[in-house]
Amino acid sequence: MAGSAGRATALQWRRFRFPQSLIGHGAWIAVLAFLAFSVDHLEIPLERIPDMLGRMWQVLASRYYPPDLAYILDRDYLDYVVETIQMAYLGALFGLLLSVLLGWFGSFNMTPSRRFVYPVARLFTMGFRAVHEMIWAILFVSILGFGMLPGVLALTFFCAGFAGKLFAEEIEAIDMGPVEAMRAAGANLFQTVVFGVFPQVRVAFTGISIYTWDVAFRAATVVGFVGAGGMGWYLKRAVLQIETERVAAIILSIVALVIVSEIVSAYARDRVMRMK
Amino acid sequence: MPILEVRELRARYTSSGPEILKGVSFEVEADDFFAIIGPSGAGKSTLIRCINRLVEPTAGSIHFYGTDVTTLPGRQLRILRRDIGMIFQEFNLINRMSVMDNVLSGRLGYTGNVRTLFRAFPRADIERALELLQRVGLQDHVDKRADELSGGQRQRVGIARALMQGPRLMLLDEPTSALDPKISREVMGLIKTMAEEFGVPCLCNIHDVRLAMEFCNKIIGLQDGVKMFDGPTGEMDQAKLDQIYAMEVL
Ligand SMILES: Nc1ncnc2c1ncn2[C@@H]1O[C@H](COP(=O)(O)OP(=O)(O)OP(=O)(O)O)[C@@H](O)[C@H]1O
Ligand SMILES: [Mg+2]
Repeated sequence: MAGSAGRATALQWRRFRFPQSLIGHGAWIAVLAFLAFSVDHLEIPLERIPDMLGRMWQVLASRYYPPDLAYILDRDYLDYVVETIQMAYLGALFGLLLSVLLGWFGSFNMTPSRRFVYPVARLFTMGFRAVHEMIWAILFVSILGFGMLPGVLALTFFCAGFAGKLFAEEIEAIDMGPVEAMRAAGANLFQTVVFGVFPQVRVAFTGISIYTWDVAFRAATVVGFVGAGGMGWYLKRAVLQIETERVAAIILSIVALVIVSEIVSAYARDRVMRMK
Repeated sequence: MPILEVRELRARYTSSGPEILKGVSFEVEADDFFAIIGPSGAGKSTLIRCINRLVEPTAGSIHFYGTDVTTLPGRQLRILRRDIGMIFQEFNLINRMSVMDNVLSGRLGYTGNVRTLFRAFPRADIERALELLQRVGLQDHVDKRADELSGGQRQRVGIARALMQGPRLMLLDEPTSALDPKISREVMGLIKTMAEEFGVPCLCNIHDVRLAMEFCNKIIGLQDGVKMFDGPTGEMDQAKLDQIYAMEVL
């Protein structure tokens, strides 16, 4: 009896349902329309593109070549490279320490309090992320003056936001079984995190930390542009003095360093992930 | 004198949601091995989790050695939980830790935060863990990672971890459902032996009625949050089983 009554309603099925389908297709149309609008606004002169590329090449070849390699092998410049690395290291380290707390407090399943600590931690994480690292650098330079300290602080905030969000996501994805077992054994929240959560996220956290170092280093090479320490300062000076061959050399050195850092950390991440 | 007295226990997961336990009462004596049987969704897991308050009951009382569990504040609740061992269907081991560390984690309720951080458990705990591992037959797997073990072995770790607490009551939530029939029987036998040896009463959710009849001295039949049967295993018969499992004949 119940079966036949159910069948009459179950037979009706349609792929396109009124409000949902309309919203979905409308969104697509909006995306495409905005694309057309923006490209139109750029006023890209399509017919001149080949010409432009040729001229860009000429400028590069005549002004930026050969790069002034002697300049970047200079003792002073190398000191700044070391400072950049130190700055990235400290910023990543402090940022990661902060983001472990942010990740824990800002994960819905493990936060000490869902009403209070959780929203506060989420707000801080979002705040750190919302502001670009260059803006943090400008802010700290204007408060603290030129030097490495504002750079370290800017990178700390940047890394805290960057890794804090990823850490929280990892914690929210854990298997809650061991957590429940630790609670059932009378463990407090800290012990539950150390035994029930940390072993599950350790590998992922290490991977994220290496990744964070990567982005921190890349950011560290440019925060100097606004006076926050590191080789960015050199870049700015060379740009202002229109020493284009030096600019070329500095950019090359930045690219080389970032690539080396990425290769090393990709290797390290790979090794860590295989530890599982 | 019962060691556990549950009175009119009610529970729901959300204030607007359905009531999962609808006033369940029963008593556990010091030498009982209770089976809780009933169809899927009857509220067996919920009932067992209310006793150590992994799930908060909405009404009723639970007296464990005279203390009302339902009103204990955080710290005292943790102290109470040390006295109640729990064994889970999915084992709930820490996969990336060694068997030893898993067993030692049963002592966390007695361990300080700094010791926890460095996993520096007292000598006595380590000796006890080794003894228990020997008892459950895992003396050759002490340093293996938990996820390198078979299902039966994992549940043995779970048993050792629960006993590590020196519990005065054990809660078992379908301890053998993830195991094959032969291993199930072995594991149930081990639990039963250990419970008798350490004098720990048990409350055991179980799917397999045959296993329940074989290993348990008392049975609670639960259906849709209501207790349908409560008595010695001998009084259970087919008619009562059919009623509990309410075989819908269409
Ligand atoms: N965390 C939860 N949130 C909301 N509802 C839940 C939760 N856990 C269980 N329930 C609901 O409570 C009811 C009883 O679940 P419970 O797990 O206690 O049943 P059970 O008797 O243990 O079943 P099974 O034999 O399948 O394990 C089910 O209807 C289930 O949907
Ligand atoms: Mg269950």
